[in-house]
Amino acid sequence: MASRRSTRHDGDQGVRFSRTLFIALLVLSGALIAFDRPASRSDAFADFRSAFTDIAAPLLELGAQPLRAVKNIGPYFRRQGELAEENARLRQQLIEARYWEDLAYRQRDRIEVYEDALNVDSPAIEDRIGAWTVADPRGPFVKARLIGRGSDAGIEDGYPVINLYGLVGRVYETGRRSARVLLLTDLNSRVPVMADRSNARAILIGDNSPYPRLEYVGRAPDIQEGDRIVSSGDGGILPRGLPVGEAVSTRDGEWRVRLYSDQAPIDFVWVWPYRRIVPPDREVDAGEADLVDPVEAGPATAGTTAETETAPAGGSEPSPAAEDPEGTP
Amino acid sequence: MRKPTERDALWLSAIGCILTVLAALIVQAAPTRLIDGITVMPTWPLMAIFLWSGLRPQFMPPVAVFAIGLAQDLLTGAPMGVWALSYLIAIAVFRFRGEDGMPRDLPPVFARFAATLLLAHAIAFAAGSFALEQMADLQPLIIEIVATILMFPLIAYLVLRRRRGGRSGFIGG
Repeated sequence: MASRRSTRHDGDQGVRFSRTLFIALLVLSGALIAFDRPASRSDAFADFRSAFTDIAAPLLELGAQPLRAVKNIGPYFRRQGELAEENARLRQQLIEARYWEDLAYRQRDRIEVYEDALNVDSPAIEDRIGAWTVADPRGPFVKARLIGRGSDAGIEDGYPVINLYGLVGRVYETGRRSARVLLLTDLNSRVPVMADRSNARAILIGDNSPYPRLEYVGRAPDIQEGDRIVSSGDGGILPRGLPVGEAVSTRDGEWRVRLYSDQAPIDFVWVWPYRRIVPPDREVDAGEADLVDPVEAGPATAGTTAETETAPAGGSEPSPAAEDPEGTP
Repeated sequence: MRKPTERDALWLSAIGCILTVLAALIVQAAPTRLIDGITVMPTWPLMAIFLWSGLRPQFMPPVAVFAIGLAQDLLTGAPMGVWALSYLIAIAVFRFRGEDGMPRDLPPVFARFAATLLLAHAIAFAAGSFALEQMADLQPLIIEIVATILMFPLIAYLVLRRRRGGRSGFIGG
């Protein structure tokens, strides 16, 4: 505990552990814990956090660069013997991929025609914002990553984040030069998804395990082992069709998802600029909110407008609209 | 060449303290998973705080301990104050006192650190659960404690060996 000789040196080492200061700092820590709860975080705290990560981002980037340089060393040495075999397999896959590439181009052209006809304005691939992971802390509280781009690059709270393989999470704290991404595995993550094969709806709920749960699937869900799970777009929170993972069933009958994004360590990601689709009855409110430009107003405003759609709030349940606006399953 | 004075040594120690604490915070948040999926990370900042509060207690006043904990909160995305509070209390309870300060043998230093680590993580778990309004994930906390306990003897050995003026010997010297 604090020294009784509060203002005197403690031994010849010259340490001062002032009782008054110690108690003051304890009270300050307690106050911070009480007021910086994710569920009720004020704009001032969100601003402070974003400002700190903005300052720390270049230092963290400095620390991440050497790791990025040696990231393939482990697998390289481990798989030396398998390289020739893998090379042959990749060549075969490349030949097959050319067919799919042609098909994709044809489908893209067809979709463009349909989108023009329907006047659909979906985000173009080139609009995605690329960013490197600068911090990937492990801890008991939040499963989140810090990326090295922020509102200066056009990132806002709520934007989906994807990597080469699939959906990684959503932006929930945006600074000017950095942003924090809440991963799908986090306790507070709630994402409306569906099975690509059957359109069976569910909510993907993170529980800190590598395989998030599928909830609200109904009594007899039309989900099969290995079904491709994609974002459903329900509630307008995320765009429809972002690849999430594969359905796997557990021994106790639960459905979980093996995330595509976990196929490789998450390093480079794309942030997908996406405007939330607002129901017609709330369009007026949304219009008023849009009058304030979140970039100009700073991250606090962005945080406030996105508070209802991002899920860092501790234990916040998804809105009924997000859960299942179409009443299925 | 001029022999370093005590004042020079103090300045060097101060710079060393700042650099090691900064490095500890950066490594704590670094994306080490990139290297072949390394997912285990010891609590480097607590090691730095504990060893510096034993070696040079004047460099680790409560304000410094609080600031390091708060920086860790902000870098890891944890609710603010969780690690600041736990480090403050744990160091206040278990820091080395008296004229001799930190012993020069590893076992007592290790035992004291293990107690500090357990107390700090217990407080962090309670405070974090309170802030999140749900139970924090216990598994990463336990993994972190085990990794720190395994890593600490090596770091402490190097520090104590340097403190003994390079004399060899694992215990004593």
